[in-house]
Formats: sequence, structure tokens, C-alpha cells
Amino acid sequence: MASPQQFLTRVGTGALEWLRAWGRLLAFGARALVQTFTPAVYNSATRSVVLKQIYFTAWQILPGFLLFAALLSYVIIQIVVTTARAYGLSEFALEVSVRVVVLETLPLLTVLFIALRSGAAINTEVALMNINNEIGALEAAGVDPMRFEFTPRVISGALSVYALTLLSSIVALILAYVAVYGFQPWSLADFSRVIAKIFSPVALLMLTCKSLLFGLAVTLIPIRAGLEAPRMLFFAPIAVLRGMVRLFFVIMFIEVASLALIYM
Amino acid sequence: MIWAADAKERRALIDSLPQAALVADELPLRANLSVLENIAIVPQYRQNLSYAAAADQAWDLLAKLGQTGCAFKRDPALDCVERFVAKLLRAVILQPPIILIDRPALLLPDIHYPPFLETTLQALAGDCEDCRILDYAWNAPLYAPR
Repeated sequence: MASPQQFLTRVGTGALEWLRAWGRLLAFGARALVQTFTPAVYNSATRSVVLKQIYFTAWQILPGFLLFAALLSYVIIQIVVTTARAYGLSEFALEVSVRVVVLETLPLLTVLFIALRSGAAINTEVALMNINNEIGALEAAGVDPMRFEFTPRVISGALSVYALTLLSSIVALILAYVAVYGFQPWSLADFSRVIAKIFSPVALLMLTCKSLLFGLAVTLIPIRAGLEAPRMLFFAPIAVLRGMVRLFFVIMFIEVASLALIYM
Repeated sequence: MIWAADAKERRALIDSLPQAALVADELPLRANLSVLENIAIVPQYRQNLSYAAAADQAWDLLAKLGQTGCAFKRDPALDCVERFVAKLLRAVILQPPIILIDRPALLLPDIHYPPFLETTLQALAGDCEDCRILDYAWNAPLYAPR
């Protein structure tokens, strides 16, 4: 049995290592952000990686994702509309359903989808690159891996999450109109008034910030987790596991923090 | 030729040539890029060339060595000669003052590598000014006397 001193030492060492890991992640994120806004970083090679990553992260999944988002949105909207009618609160049905679906559900759904699909793939790829010394090989060939491999992924991740959230939100707004007013154009003025009330400048800013933060988290955390993998092959799954768990908690933290900011 | 007596001396010899582009077993190709992309990425990144222009340069180098057949293969699909050629050309296209081929026996385990190296480096004579081979002294008998 460990003595209290040994126990405290172990806990303290663990806490320090945990804090250092977050510090390294923040430093890495800051470096990626600085590079993102540095025009000199963009050359033919980095641009092609950004485009490739947007293709893999957003374009390739677009039809399936939009279909799923539309189905889920329609089900949620119908539940809200039906419940509101049942309680005699039909006038609030549109506002409540748009707030639930567009402001809260779709950004979270998008980032979880991208995290499971692209985040896990990026984490695995970077961990294997690190373990196989492909990063060292790139540096030896005069190619900066941060600029060529990592920053483009961060940029494309943020853009992809934002674009998919935006597109799925537009689809959800159309579905909300159809669910509340039916297939007719005569209620567009009423609809516009409710939408303008919901999407105040503050709400739009919050939605944009949340989507961009989700986009940054979904690439930065997997990349950093992959880079932290010790250079032994059996550590690859552990690096992915750690990265994905950390990503899940960060996504949930951003979601809860944004809810608290809006509604408290 | 540079002869090393042991691993420690080999490391010291590599460290003494910081300006050299290393072709070594521990510097692999990018696994998710083809041979052509692995070579082209260097001028594309360093000289901001379009991919088409960089790939043309890479293709010309592969053609000089008669290895265009592997241009669109990725690392796991390559045999040891193709992998070596890809690594060598990735270094050549960088146009460094020195290219250092480290322990060719590790890079080319399935062929009698000294004559192959000689032929390959002759084919690239105009593209690399100073190409050195670093091998262990006990492999010296494998090489033709100069």
C-alpha cells in the first residue's frame, strides 16, 4: 500500500503532466492560429493540402450528412411543433424549434460527425507519421511539417465544420418553415420576423464563434495527441484513444459554455 | 565513399555534414503520397511551384533512372529499389551541396547494391554534384576497387 506521501506525489505528478499537456496543446493552437493569419505561409503546397482536406472533410460527406441532418432536424421540429400545438403554444413552435435545431443541435451534430470521421483519421495519421518518423523525414527534405501538414488541416477543419453547420442550418430552416406553415409561400413575412428575432447579431456571433471553436478543436486536439505519441507502434491506438476522449470533453465544454453564456 | 568503423562513428560522420541531404532508412517516404508526390512536394513547397511544374521535374528525374513505373505507387507497394530511388530523388530535387547515402545495405537489402549505386549515381551525374556513400568498413570488399 502506498504511503500518503507517495500517493500525493503520484497525484501531483499526474496533475502536472496533465497541465503540461494542455499547455502544449494551447501553444500548438496559438502557433497554428498565427500561421493561419500569416499570408507568407500559403504557397502552392499548403493550398493544395487545404483543398484536399476540405474535400475529404466536407465535400465527400456532404450529401449523406445533409440527408441525415435534414431527417434529424425534421423529426425534432415535428416533435416541437406537435408538442407546442398540444399545449396551445403554436405561436412559439417555430422559434423554439429553430433555437433547438439550428442554434444547438446542428453545430453539435456537425462537430461530432467530423470528430468521429476526420478527427479520428487525423489523430491516427499524425500518430503514425510521428512513430514512423515521417515528420523528421519531411523536415530533412526542407519541408516544415507544421506549415505543410498541420496548419492546413486546422484551417480546413475549421472551414469544414463552419460550412457544414451553415448548410445544414439552411436546410433545417427550410424544413422548419414547411413543418410550421406547410408548402405555401404566403407566410414568408411572418417567418422572416421570427428568424430575425432569433438570429440577433449576438446570437449570430455566438453561433459563428462556437462553430469555429468546434472546428479548431476537431483538428488541433487530434493532431497534438498524435504528436505526443511515443515513437513505438503500439502507442498509436493509445494516442488515438487519448485524443478522442480529450476532444469529446472539449466539445462538450464548448457546448456547455456557449449554453451558459446564452441562457444564464 | 566514407567508411565508418561502428555506429558511433557513423553518427559522428553524419553530424559532421549538416549541409548534406540524407538518404537513410530512418527517413521514410510520406505514406499517403505517391512516389511522384513525395519528390514533387519539395520544389512545390520550397520554390512555390505549381504541382504540375513540380511533378514535371520529379517525372524527369524518375525517367533518368528508368523508374517512371513506380511514379504513382505509394510506399507499401514499392520494392526496395523503387523506395531507394524515391528517397534519393527526394534528396536530389532539393539540390543540396552534398547528398549522403547512409548504409545502403539497409536501403537495398535484396540486391548487390555497389554496382547499382554506381549506375544510379552516374545517371544523375548532372543533378547531384557531390554524392557520398556512408557504409561500414566491413562492407568495403563489396565495392569495386577504385
